[in-house]
Amino acid sequence: MSDTQNSQAGSGSTLLQLSSSDRHQRWRLIKDKLAGYLVVIGGLSIIVAIVLIFFYLLYVVFPLVLPARIEPAARYDLPGGVADKTLFLAMEEQNEVAARVTDAGRTVFFQVADGQLIEQLDLALSGQVTITSFAHGGFDKGVIAFGLSDGRAIVLRHDYKLSYPGGKRVITPSVQYPLGKEPLVVDTQGRALTRIALKVGDSSSSVLAKTADNRLVLASLTKKESLFDDEVSWEHTDATLDMLAEDIEFMLLDKELRNLYLLGRKGELTVFDVTNKSQPVIKHRLNVLPHGKQVTSAEFLNGDVSLLIGDSGGELSQWIIVRDAQNKYSVQRLRAFDVSDAAIMTINPEQRRKGLLVVDAKGTVGIYNTTAERELINQPVIATAPVAAALSPRANAFLLQDASGAIHRWGIENEHPEISWKSLWSKVWYENYSEPAYIWQSSAASSDFEPKMSLTPLVFGTIKASFYAMLIAIPLALFGAIYTGYFMTPRVREYVKPGIEIMGALPTVILGFLAGLWLAPFVETHLTAIFALFLVVPLGVMLFAYLWYQAPETWRHRIPDGWDAILAVPVIVVSAWLAFAIAPTIESLFFAGDLRTWMRDELGIGYDQRNTLVVGLALGFAVIPMIFSIAEDAIFSVPKHLTTGSLALGATPWQTLIKVVILTASPGIFSAVMIGFGRAVGETMIVLMATGNTPVMDFSIFQGLRTLAANIAVEMPESEFNSTHYRVLFLAALVLFLFTFVVNSLAEVVRQNLRQKYSSL
Amino acid sequence: MTTTARKTHAIDISALSRGEKAIQDKPETCIKVEDLNLFYGSKQALHSVSMEMPRKKVTAYIGPSGCGKSTLLRCINRMNDLVDGVRIDGKILLDGDDIYDKGVNVAALRRRVGMVFQKPNPFPKTIYENVAYGLRIQGINDRHILGEIVEKSLRGAALWDEAKDRLNDNALGLSGGQQQRLVIARAIAIEPEVILLDEPASALDPISTLKIEELIDELKEKYTIVIVTHNMQQAARVSDYTAFMYMGELIEFGETSELFTNPVKKQTEDYITGRYG
Repeated sequence: MSDTQNSQAGSGSTLLQLSSSDRHQRWRLIKDKLAGYLVVIGGLSIIVAIVLIFFYLLYVVFPLVLPARIEPAARYDLPGGVADKTLFLAMEEQNEVAARVTDAGRTVFFQVADGQLIEQLDLALSGQVTITSFAHGGFDKGVIAFGLSDGRAIVLRHDYKLSYPGGKRVITPSVQYPLGKEPLVVDTQGRALTRIALKVGDSSSSVLAKTADNRLVLASLTKKESLFDDEVSWEHTDATLDMLAEDIEFMLLDKELRNLYLLGRKGELTVFDVTNKSQPVIKHRLNVLPHGKQVTSAEFLNGDVSLLIGDSGGELSQWIIVRDAQNKYSVQRLRAFDVSDAAIMTINPEQRRKGLLVVDAKGTVGIYNTTAERELINQPVIATAPVAAALSPRANAFLLQDASGAIHRWGIENEHPEISWKSLWSKVWYENYSEPAYIWQSSAASSDFEPKMSLTPLVFGTIKASFYAMLIAIPLALFGAIYTGYFMTPRVREYVKPGIEIMGALPTVILGFLAGLWLAPFVETHLTAIFALFLVVPLGVMLFAYLWYQAPETWRHRIPDGWDAILAVPVIVVSAWLAFAIAPTIESLFFAGDLRTWMRDELGIGYDQRNTLVVGLALGFAVIPMIFSIAEDAIFSVPKHLTTGSLALGATPWQTLIKVVILTASPGIFSAVMIGFGRAVGETMIVLMATGNTPVMDFSIFQGLRTLAANIAVEMPESEFNSTHYRVLFLAALVLFLFTFVVNSLAEVVRQNLRQKYSSL
Repeated sequence: MTTTARKTHAIDISALSRGEKAIQDKPETCIKVEDLNLFYGSKQALHSVSMEMPRKKVTAYIGPSGCGKSTLLRCINRMNDLVDGVRIDGKILLDGDDIYDKGVNVAALRRRVGMVFQKPNPFPKTIYENVAYGLRIQGINDRHILGEIVEKSLRGAALWDEAKDRLNDNALGLSGGQQQRLVIARAIAIEPEVILLDEPASALDPISTLKIEELIDELKEKYTIVIVTHNMQQAARVSDYTAFMYMGELIEFGETSELFTNPVKKQTEDYITGRYG
């Protein structure tokens, strides 16, 4: 090796000496060098560009896997003094003002930053009436209620007004009375309300209370607007629940005012259907805890669909109402988190995500996400049991009051709790689903929506679309390539090859447009004919070939060798026509007049207009030129001396084709197929326009799908910059990138091996 | 020749070759060319060529480039059929049967008339598979039989000693001379009657050329051999009969010793003495 280099260098130097007199020679060398550098720079910049793309994708995706962090921000004495017991803590949107509600009915507004008192508002109670119970009506609403000793309840709302005097933001807290300043009569018998629950809505509100004599009473208000003037009146409905309330400890009413959850200390859960406010009925009863454990806290997860139960053993469990196939309701346990071994004292759900913050009796704070089943934080924060905790609406800070009366303020950094390996790739049991499933549904109109970001249906859709496309493209393209490259006369080939290659120049948006708007309805109305086509055309061509072979020699000799493909054109046209002509007869004979109805009724196969068959046809059409062109080149460039060598040994052209030509061309054919596959995987416009973009995981060829590429194209414009959704779309891009990278690299390795094995002289 | 005729022919060959030994010395005609004209489109490449090539002898075609000697050779196993626009008049009789007859199975003909090309053309397969190729396409897949024939053919082509330890290596790893002998082994594996050699040594070095020439000498014990060569010394060394062709015409045909020492035609003399070519 070094010898040859030396001799090259030597001859190079003599060359230089010879040409030193000749400027032309020198200029030639310079040009040669320049061209060399240019090629190197070009190649390197492509590699650099690809590496940069890869790292940019990684850079955007990376925050998804970052762990959450909490850090202490401040600690101050309890605003308003320790004389009263804190019932409830809350923060407003901007994390500037917090409210503390005490058992004396006082609301203390204070600065979140340093605990400085802003305002104290007392409840105006008359005479002997005392506060006997307290409840909040949803963390996002700011509504609270006090149950009173005379069977009435008073409902308030904390309100924060923003103003900008002199360009500076000022938040002014106040207390409003959404159901009127006068206390609402809940128990008509006037007994003290020992437990209370409520939900206040725009048009209807309900208050549930447990009375001192263990009755459960439901008072509902429905807004009535007069047709003629703006006057608003409330219609009052009362009901008593048919149940002994002695053991009831926790009562939760969902915001739709449909389900009422009653929970005893030992875990006896009763769900009432309160859709009819005057006649609540029991929906389901069960015991949610094993013997020996006690319920220590219960809250709704954001959206009021899931019930979260914290127990004395430090376990937090999530429960939902599931409707089965027989339309029966039952309460099911979705999942549980093992927080610690101490009782869970408070549960604070996040207001915009399916996350929550819990504090146990030892002062350990845990932050969880239910969809991702992810524990983000589990960290001791205070040394005593908590009295109350508040999570900010944006879930970026929390307040915690310890037993000594101090308030601890901590910041939370928790950008992407919804994403875990499980939520991306495994089956997840979502709210409102009867079983775990793979779902992609990234956004919805409401803020309490549970994002379902499983990439599995998208990867499945990608593979399904490319599989069917390849199923159509590979046989057509390869057989076409074999015929064109090996049998066809050069004069016909001259037209056929560029013709098919021009097919590849069609913009895919046009193909997608045609597939979606013309082909999909056409296939739908002519489904039987399409399937007949797959049978009749090959059979027709084979039959014609056989007849042609049997035809008198004088006929056959009129067609020169290699021109026989031209004959196939009318045969294909006629057999295609035949397929369409016999389709209605077949349909009425075998499929009761309509194939789609027959499939649905007899086989239970549904039919989507934009389905995989349409995509397979359109995408197959798009990748055929590429596969054909590369494979044809490979077959055509098999050295003639190999084919003649084989023929000279007495092999038939067919044997020569199979045993020599395809073998020698196999690296090229293989890379043609792989490049076609790579193209099908990454293709966007056709699948975007012809698939219906339904991210379902269904193997049926008559169902739609959604691919990774189409998903990115559909959702990227509407995803919020740097949100979890945005980053997951980048993750989908990264998956697509890695997928094609791995496929292409593997293909290249296999191709190199094949080439080494079957390369020819 | 129909398919049934082809099947019975295998028996014919062995019968013939056994019967052959009795009739020694008297050159019996194996291939007879009768008034053969060949056209590439409108251009005539062979002009009424007639000749008789004796069995189990080496016949050499010599002549300047483009004189039609390779074209004539390729007529004998109908390799010219593969060229677009070729038209052939006249007859070529192999053992008395016209190979251009309608209904002749070309593949079966080529099994009887093997061919080795100028450039070694082993398939991108193993040495073993190259030799076995001709048998496999006839549907012979018995490993025992294949192994036997592969060894016999490689020995016949004087390649066995060099190749026996690397039968499963890619044939493209062999040297040019070895590749050419492999191609000969591949041709004799299917036991043809005739072997056509189209300038078999022109791409080889002198030592490989010598080996090929020695091989031809051995092969004529069993096969009728027709060789095209540019090299007149080679023709003189290896052949029993020589045909001199010029401009698509057969100028002179006769025993090699006669033709080289005492040519009848002036053109032949000019060529062999190096006045043109």
